[in-house]
Amino acid sequence: MRRQSAAVSLVLLALLAIVIAQASLVALLFVFSLVLTLRLGIEIGGGAMLMGSQLGYGQPQVTLFNAATVASAVFTGGCGAVAAARRFNRWRPDR
Amino acid sequence: MKGLLRLYPRSWRERYGREMEVLLEQMPGELGVGLDLVVGAAAAYAVVIRGNRILSAAGAYLHGVCVAVLLQAIAFVTFILYAQGSAASPAVAELGPIRFAVFTRPHLFGGLGALGSAVWTRTAAIEWLLGAAVLAMLIAALALVLASPRLLKSLR
Repeated sequence: MRRQSAAVSLVLLALLAIVIAQASLVALLFVFSLVLTLRLGIEIGGGAMLMGSQLGYGQPQVTLFNAATVASAVFTGGCGAVAAARRFNRWRPDR
Repeated sequence: MKGLLRLYPRSWRERYGREMEVLLEQMPGELGVGLDLVVGAAAAYAVVIRGNRILSAAGAYLHGVCVAVLLQAIAFVTFILYAQGSAASPAVAELGPIRFAVFTRPHLFGGLGALGSAVWTRTAAIEWLLGAAVLAMLIAALALVLASPRLLKSLR
């Protein structure tokens, strides 16, 4: 039971790390779109959000579709999982 | 200054805490000493984390996630730079039938002839330079994140 709850906690913490990473990535992209004077649209599920000036009709626009959102989350989790598995398998106690 | 010793792992404090408190009482409370203590706490935690297989894997997971976020930010800025320099409008990032992103330019200067086109070219050049600066900054941040485990190891 203790082992199972530890495993569930580990999975939840891993998911939390992905959510925080995705939120910080969106914040980074928002800052970059401000610096580069772009309008940024991101599709999430059925909804979408548009970041940028309401009066910015003269600005170029970048739209990220659902595929990009899903691929981004999978890539983030995958990179973390590969790094963790590699370290777990190669771990040796310090001498 | 002694309060900064609380940043250190418990095992470290139990072993060296008293000695360090005595040492700190004899030292002036300067900013440099405080910074040394903070860096030392990070190095002490790195040692504790490296000594435990699960914690070490969890640290590697977070490191991998950070690298992934930076790589995606670099991909985003690279796509913008590519799209700004590309003649195709809209510029699309796609893999087979799957569309990831699209970059559309406004057609504000379309009717203004040569003057509008000159203004647009100049604005695009400035934005391209800004994008290149952001990309260089992101690559530097990625190099720093990739080197950070070795840097922390060298602090031991």
